[in-house]
Amino acid sequence: MVTLDLSQLDITQANEKIRQCGREGVDVEIINPDARHNIGVGLVDPITVKVKGSAGYFCGGLSDGAHYEIESNVGWAVGDNIYTGSVVVGGNAGAIAGVAIRGAEIVIHGNMGSRAGQVMKAGTLCCGGNAAFMSGYMMYGGRIIILGDAAEKVGQDMSAGEIFIGGEIESLGNDTEIVDMAPGDLESINEFLDRYGMSFSGQFTKVVSAGKKLRYGNSEPRTRPQPFFISSQSSSYWNAKVQEDIWIKGEVGRYRIRGYGASKPVPHLNDIAFARDITQAPSDASVLEGINLRTKVGGRFGAKPLDLSMPVMIAPMSFGALSRSVKIALARASRLSGISESTGEGGMLDEQREEADQLIFQMLSGRLGWNIKDMLRADALEIYISQGAKPGLGGQLMAKKVTPELAKIRGIPEGIDLRSPSRHPDVLGADDLVIKVDELREATGHKKPLGIKMGAGRVNDDIKIAYKDGFDFVELDGLQGSTGAASTEVLENVGIPTLSAIQEAVDGLAEIEAKGDMHLVLMGGIKDGIDAVKMLALGAHCVSIGTAAMIAGGCIACMQCHVGSCPVGIATQDKGHEARYDIDRQAQNIHRYFESVRWQMAAITKALGYDDVHSINRDDLVALTPEAAEMTGLRYVPGQRDNTQHDDKLTDLSRKAG
Amino acid sequence: MSFDHSVTATTDLVDDRNDLHYVPAPCQVACPVGTDAPSYIAYIWQGEYEKALEAINATNPFSAICGRVCDAPCEPACRRADSDDAIAIRNLKRHVLDSLGSDFALPPVAVTQSKTVAIVGAGPAGLTAAQDLAEAGYEVHVYEATDRPGGMMVWGIPRFRLPEGVIEQDIQRMSRHCPGIKIHLNSALGDQVTLGELKQNHDALLMAIGASVGKTMNLPGESQPFVKDGVGFLHRINAGERPHLPETVLVIGGGDVAMDACRAVKRLPGVKSVKVIYRRDAEAMPARAEELQGAIDEGIEMVYNTQPISVVDGRAIRCLRTEMGEADTDGRRRPVEVAGSEHDIECGLVIAAVGQKAKCAELEAHGLMAEDRVKAIFEGMVTEDQMIFAAGDGGFGGSTIVEAMNHGHRAAYYMKAFLQGNENPLPYKTPYRTRRVEICNDPLWEINPRVHQEFSGLGENPIEFAEIESTYTASEAKVEAARCFRCDAETGSADFTVESRESIFAMARMTSEQDDQQQQILDSRLENRVDPFGTEHIATLDDLVFLPANLSRLVIDPYREECKTRTELGANRHLVLDIPFIVTGLDNAPAEISDAYGKSIANAGAACLGRRGIEGAKWLQIVDDKVDSAADAVVFEADTVLAAGSVEKSTQQPAGLLVNNSNVEQAIDFGLAHELDFLVLDASGGLPGLDAEFTAAPDLSIIRRAVKHLRQLNCEEEIDLVYFGGLRTGTDSAKVLALGAIAVVIGASAVLALGADISSGSPKFSSELSHVERKQRSANLLQAFNSEASMMARCTGKTNLQNLEPEDLRAITLIASKTVGIPMSGSLEIHQT
Repeated sequence: MVTLDLSQLDITQANEKIRQCGREGVDVEIINPDARHNIGVGLVDPITVKVKGSAGYFCGGLSDGAHYEIESNVGWAVGDNIYTGSVVVGGNAGAIAGVAIRGAEIVIHGNMGSRAGQVMKAGTLCCGGNAAFMSGYMMYGGRIIILGDAAEKVGQDMSAGEIFIGGEIESLGNDTEIVDMAPGDLESINEFLDRYGMSFSGQFTKVVSAGKKLRYGNSEPRTRPQPFFISSQSSSYWNAKVQEDIWIKGEVGRYRIRGYGASKPVPHLNDIAFARDITQAPSDASVLEGINLRTKVGGRFGAKPLDLSMPVMIAPMSFGALSRSVKIALARASRLSGISESTGEGGMLDEQREEADQLIFQMLSGRLGWNIKDMLRADALEIYISQGAKPGLGGQLMAKKVTPELAKIRGIPEGIDLRSPSRHPDVLGADDLVIKVDELREATGHKKPLGIKMGAGRVNDDIKIAYKDGFDFVELDGLQGSTGAASTEVLENVGIPTLSAIQEAVDGLAEIEAKGDMHLVLMGGIKDGIDAVKMLALGAHCVSIGTAAMIAGGCIACMQCHVGSCPVGIATQDKGHEARYDIDRQAQNIHRYFESVRWQMAAITKALGYDDVHSINRDDLVALTPEAAEMTGLRYVPGQRDNTQHDDKLTDLSRKAG
Repeated sequence: MSFDHSVTATTDLVDDRNDLHYVPAPCQVACPVGTDAPSYIAYIWQGEYEKALEAINATNPFSAICGRVCDAPCEPACRRADSDDAIAIRNLKRHVLDSLGSDFALPPVAVTQSKTVAIVGAGPAGLTAAQDLAEAGYEVHVYEATDRPGGMMVWGIPRFRLPEGVIEQDIQRMSRHCPGIKIHLNSALGDQVTLGELKQNHDALLMAIGASVGKTMNLPGESQPFVKDGVGFLHRINAGERPHLPETVLVIGGGDVAMDACRAVKRLPGVKSVKVIYRRDAEAMPARAEELQGAIDEGIEMVYNTQPISVVDGRAIRCLRTEMGEADTDGRRRPVEVAGSEHDIECGLVIAAVGQKAKCAELEAHGLMAEDRVKAIFEGMVTEDQMIFAAGDGGFGGSTIVEAMNHGHRAAYYMKAFLQGNENPLPYKTPYRTRRVEICNDPLWEINPRVHQEFSGLGENPIEFAEIESTYTASEAKVEAARCFRCDAETGSADFTVESRESIFAMARMTSEQDDQQQQILDSRLENRVDPFGTEHIATLDDLVFLPANLSRLVIDPYREECKTRTELGANRHLVLDIPFIVTGLDNAPAEISDAYGKSIANAGAACLGRRGIEGAKWLQIVDDKVDSAADAVVFEADTVLAAGSVEKSTQQPAGLLVNNSNVEQAIDFGLAHELDFLVLDASGGLPGLDAEFTAAPDLSIIRRAVKHLRQLNCEEEIDLVYFGGLRTGTDSAKVLALGAIAVVIGASAVLALGADISSGSPKFSSELSHVERKQRSANLLQAFNSEASMMARCTGKTNLQNLEPEDLRAITLIASKTVGIPMSGSLEIHQT
């Protein structure tokens, strides 16, 4: 047993020592904890940590296998996201005790705060006293035992799992019901209580999901999309697309769902041009020679930055929305091209980790597949607030894709229409996020760049908060950002175009005199090296490419990703359809696509007379439309490069290559 | 049966590559004659076989033949070949031709030119050129050495693949279409006609003499009588011979001739075993995969990696085994002989199908032959004699029917230029057309596997040479057609258009070292797009976006958290609604329609607006004569009360004015002066009718004018605004609520949800839906609108629909920014009108 005195050590030093004890298999006693936040976070060895006093936020959070005993009280989110292991609290716990646990046992001898067990997946959360409102809020599995009373909305929007209440229930939550105790329930509870030296002699009331909201009531008729120009000709206001939408809403009574991003015309990067004619780029020497594209992302606070061969990332896309094969192909392509890949929502695959050299781990509100071990083996971390396709909403995965395999990695029931929560249980505002950032950095020893992903909304404000909250980089996703499933209404109508997003971000950071050390990674409709260079010239440090990489790897843009029967095996969890995807071939295609992006960036850099892509700047751009000029403040020069006749060379090329 | 000939009657083929919304599909590009396969496939799905046939035949005079025996390079190029299986493009073509081909005629084209053309050889190259030239008005004389037109299509392909009658169908169609084509049978060049005569009698000549002489293997002992050549053998078989053959027959070679020969042999009497000897492996075999499989299925043995080295006296072929070596200059891996692997393969007959060559003593005498073909250059398709052109196998080596047709088109193009005195024509390019056919909407298009033709192989009595396979039934064809990805069609996304998708595809298929290709893509991607808004654009609600909550506002969960929708309409006297939606346009609707809405409106807690009320529903009466005491609120037409200078309102009923763009400010002044409760802003005009709403987009400026005027008067709280016009979704409604309305009126959408047909400009209903369906649909529409609107509110961080505000919106076009007074995203500036 090693004793650590928190009056002598700061929390980072203490956590470093606790982890060292873990590696050595030595238990730890903490004295003078003084309700410090993040005690023992990120521990992955099965030692016992005894806290002689009270602990602050996130005590024992993001750990796996360790045991924590806290003599007195804890702050919010005790045991946050623990996989296995236990936490025993002698006194009371704050809000969201046992949030997102995935097999751990959390015992609180006193009372616990609101939203206890929010989005938990497995394990047991037991409270000896009373529970505040919304116990088991959006829980996906596991068991909550409350020996005392439960305040209002017990089990609000729970998908699965069981809540046993020994005392009074003030009210039940949405979509819950009371059922009889099953054989074995009581024995199992008593066994648990015995182990933790507790007992209960009254009657339990068992609350479970009523299951009425887990699936959309009736399914939307499948239709292939009509060409976009049908719906974007103002001459035909009640066009065929509008009529189809209304007809189908008459049938299903709700918004329609599809994949991809905003489909309507939006001012975009192809409404700006280079101020000089660069069509006669030099082709004598190697285009790539002597041009620096290498880009580091995320070293603002001393973490080891991502080191990219060019300022390009693969956008976060989940295993779930995409098939396993596609995630493997993307990861391999990222390695071959020296750029980064991202897990997206829903966890990290071993094959993906093996294939990718640089992998960003995304952390989302539903805590699906989020765990400390994957955080530790990631090269960067990214907390998801929202995305360009559906900002304000959580991820959406239709039941056809929630297969047993997928459900297992995410820790959720199979076959539900998964609608992830819209906000993190522990991020209700900017200040919470500061504390969350601390926890994430503590749990990973301050070694990994930490980013934030946001759909573009009030960028001018949001970017300042992100800067002050201490992120290394921001992935900012415009209106055109795509997804595997979202309401078409949100896809088309919520969020601002990528072009305005970069401008507001740059302006916002300038207003607070930020030092340029928080890197802006822009995404949402970036299709090639030309778009990427323009984005960099407007002030981005890097771009992130998703849909275009999908297309390079065989996506035919039918926009039916949500259906789950992807004809080319990309957006599917159906093994038969996935078999249509040739990983080796498509990984090479995606790789070649990124190499073409590199070629384009180098050629443009050279043609503009620079030797570093990051030297290109706003002066190299002009706006071709009044909208683009207004959004970016660029000089309006209509017809900068006169629209030459549509060239059919391209089509011949793409065909020959097959 | 009649056909639309408007397209095929023209001689100049249209090329659609300038269409921004079209990129030729890989199948079309792979087709040497550029067949618009995606269009004909889509027409098949629609059941429009005549249109499909037009698309098939437009560049392919041998459609019926190709439906059965085309090499079909389209199928391996099909993108779906990379996922489950290619679309059965060839068999779909056959299905159409089998259904309609014999009735399909093209209008006759007259001879209009004084010059004439001679074509030697009535094969696919010669006849294709003949048709093109005849369509251009020239008289064309075709000299054919044999007694039948068709060339290798007749003499090379056995009847079990191409039955009697199919060739005739295509040739007869051509003859009727082009009376100017005169075919002279049994007229071999050098025998019946001489080159000198042709040059004298015609203004241009095309040598489409074919390659009908089998090449030899150059093996010791090859001259023995039990060794035959493949084309010669097939010629005899196709002339009707059915010889009795030895028990074991070897076919040497791996091409289509070898496949046809071995399968013909298999059907002949006396034969027990047929083996195909091929020096490379199965993968390298040039024969079409389907033919190879057919041969295997018929019991023919494939002996791969085996190189014949000599013919053993009267009984066998001596061979060496080979292994696949390095790639040769042509990209194919070279077979490497394995030393010491000599072995004999016993047989009674050897058929050498190792290639064909052209032979023509007359041309040779004139110095126009190279070793095994007519001496000609592909650019220009011309020989050293500028009036003599060449095409097809005889000019450019062995190829397929469809490649020969491409040669025919090319040669005709250059010959026309020559005949017209154009010495330097632009290079010929295969034209790509699209018929812009709607994408088919089959719910199972992603899932259904390829529908296979029924294969009967040798049949019950092999010597009959019965056809090996059937075609689709109409329903099978429809299922198969639905599988098409429609690579040619514009996508549903203005961001990832078909053009940008295709450049990404191209980028993914070239290497960094291919600087020229990279530069081409870069140049094409640097082209400016057409301004999507331009000067003609008018502001619509599509030009506004909501700002989502992120960090600067608490995010509300639109999937779960509540959003209040209760609405108190009326500044002084209230009409309380559960949701801020009012349905209009039902005054003249059939009772079934208004009844359905009555119940749905009542259940949803909404209201209706019109001259007539609907039983059960809250009613805002548009007053034309007198106020109805049953109305829950009354709406006077502003023009009427402004003219009268007064209004008779009751003390209980909330009262409002129906306002349009001509009277906004006066109506507001009047309403305030008379303590009215609300204004109904009619942005479309024409309430309570819907015709105006259906005619055009609403004029959004009305809402800004109203808000602005009220703000100037500092009376924003004194009177409520209700908006009508062009609301297509709950999102549109939410935008209007954010702009300042307290409730919205939906008209066109409401009737469209019940199946109104608006093609005439006014909604027309049919009895197609049942009463239950109408009730459900009307309820669903209100529910969808309300839930969409609430979703927007929650996305912006609001828990009450009425809390939406202008600050939640940004404009993405300048005209919208000016029209509704919302700042542009990015700039944060509000544009004043």
